[in-house]
Amino acid sequence: MLNNKNWLQLPSFWLILASIIILAIIPSFTSSRFILNMVATIAIAASFAISYNLLAGFTGVFSLGHAVFFGSSAYAVGIILSKFGSTPLYFAISVVVSIILAVILGLCVGYLALRLKAVYYAMITFAVAELFVITAEKWRDLTGGLDGLGFQLPEFLSGRYTGYYIAIVLFFLTVFFMYRLLNSPTGKILVAIRENEVRVSALGFNVFRYKLLSNVIAGILATLAGVAYAILNQFVVPSILGVTQTINALLMTIVGGMGTLAGPIIGAAVVILLGDWLANLAKIHPLFERWPIIFGLLYIMIILVMPGGIMSGYYRLKSKIFKSK
Amino acid sequence: MDVFITLTINGLATGLLLFMMACGLSIIFGLMGIMNFAHGSFFVIGAYTSTFTYALTGSFALAMIAGMAAGAAIGWFTELTIIRRVYSNHVGQILITLGAFIVLNEIVLIIWGPNVIPSPTPALLDGTVNILGATISIYRLFIIGFSLVVAVVVHFALAKTRLGTIVRAGVENAEMVNVLGVNVRRVFAFVFILGTALAALGGTMIGPTLGQIGTFLISQYLLLSFIVVVIGGMGSFIGSMVAGIIVGLANNYIIWFYPPAALPLNVILMSVILIIKPTGLLGMKEAA
Repeated sequence: MLNNKNWLQLPSFWLILASIIILAIIPSFTSSRFILNMVATIAIAASFAISYNLLAGFTGVFSLGHAVFFGSSAYAVGIILSKFGSTPLYFAISVVVSIILAVILGLCVGYLALRLKAVYYAMITFAVAELFVITAEKWRDLTGGLDGLGFQLPEFLSGRYTGYYIAIVLFFLTVFFMYRLLNSPTGKILVAIRENEVRVSALGFNVFRYKLLSNVIAGILATLAGVAYAILNQFVVPSILGVTQTINALLMTIVGGMGTLAGPIIGAAVVILLGDWLANLAKIHPLFERWPIIFGLLYIMIILVMPGGIMSGYYRLKSKIFKSK
Repeated sequence: MDVFITLTINGLATGLLLFMMACGLSIIFGLMGIMNFAHGSFFVIGAYTSTFTYALTGSFALAMIAGMAAGAAIGWFTELTIIRRVYSNHVGQILITLGAFIVLNEIVLIIWGPNVIPSPTPALLDGTVNILGATISIYRLFIIGFSLVVAVVVHFALAKTRLGTIVRAGVENAEMVNVLGVNVRRVFAFVFILGTALAALGGTMIGPTLGQIGTFLISQYLLLSFIVVVIGGMGSFIGSMVAGIIVGLANNYIIWFYPPAALPLNVILMSVILIIKPTGLLGMKEAA
């Protein structure tokens, strides 16, 4: 369906350079909290969706508990900062704790469940996610329960633009890391596992171990996105651990194009910008408050009609134009 | 002793509700290999439809029929529009039922709003009886009796009718049934609608036991029915029943001693069974 060379390529060097420059200087043109928050939110959602895409799009493993990585790191930052104090040291500790937690969680759940068939893996991760949500809801002393948990950031993180820049830097690092990973031998094997698991294992590769690796890497990337989320919002609620959060990342990945590098980024931008626009229409008619249904329908349409999402449409268009030349 | 009896009766009622929801999930998976992640939505559609119908008409029987009809109608529409298109595509099946999960949840929110609404016990079934010193609500006894009747009817429909034979044969080997000249697609559609209707029928009875209903039920009961399906074995009707009762009873006993442990223990039980014996207690095969 897709040209083999195309789907791993970054759009182009100049495009990336231009976007880095534009994103870096946005704060000097506008100090609007709204715009900066929107851009940073897209960057964080895109980082999270990229990490989900590594599992679902490139390795072919469908987890419904990916948001557990994202949410538990945001909670770790929030809990440690609010219980022990907002100092740079405790912030560093909270990041390290989050990453260790992600590795343990990724290894444990992966080790037990990755041998199972896709459907069973989805069910087990669904159950794990529900357990985390319920724990966050019930353990009020620690997590603030359904009311959520607000916390103070240490001084070096509390600047007006700090959250924005951290989100943007994390986003580019994630993209760059994924680009390197997917072009490495390991990345090629992951894609091969998605395409034909039996064949890869017949070639002598330990499929299980590669899936485990993919699970842990995706978990760490999601964890870092969660830390950025915590810094930007200074507030966490149980729902960011839940299945809906994972399905959001899935939605962005599907809309943009599963198994492509640019897909989750485009998907995140489209879903968040369109979602915000639709939510504003709620002033015109209250029915628009339920705008996610439009994305649900769009998602189903894409799976049925154009499984490659926006990116496959783009490549199709591109190949048509180049042929006509 | 009276505490034990109360817990057992309540556990049986919960377990049989879980069975109503899980047996559809199990048979659909056994027959078509589709794990319907949107199944919890049908349960809640039944709950909302019956609560509102009851508030409107005051007849609980009518409310149950309306809830079941709503579940069957939306199940039919879902099968027709999306499920049918992904029968041979395993990844597509997971993705598409997750899409149905998003859409159906939003439909529930559009029609009935995001607030938790009260769900009173029907007047006719309100009150309690005294059994061996334990005070038991009549409504729970009604759930147990009614679910058992439904279970027996469905069981005999599966065991004695030609259609039931085809369904059971299809769970064993759908391809072979197709080769023998049966239109398996039509059987698939029938089973999907039956499963969603049973889930909705289970949902119609949940409201009065909790006193309220809301969209929080969707993932809660979806998870519990996953646990039931896994423990009972994919595709096994009796297995769903046994496992539903086990999970219902275990839940109620554990909640009595230490509430937060109930769900984790069930999830651990499910994980252990999936890892050491993915066919469950009574499952015949590991579905593809």
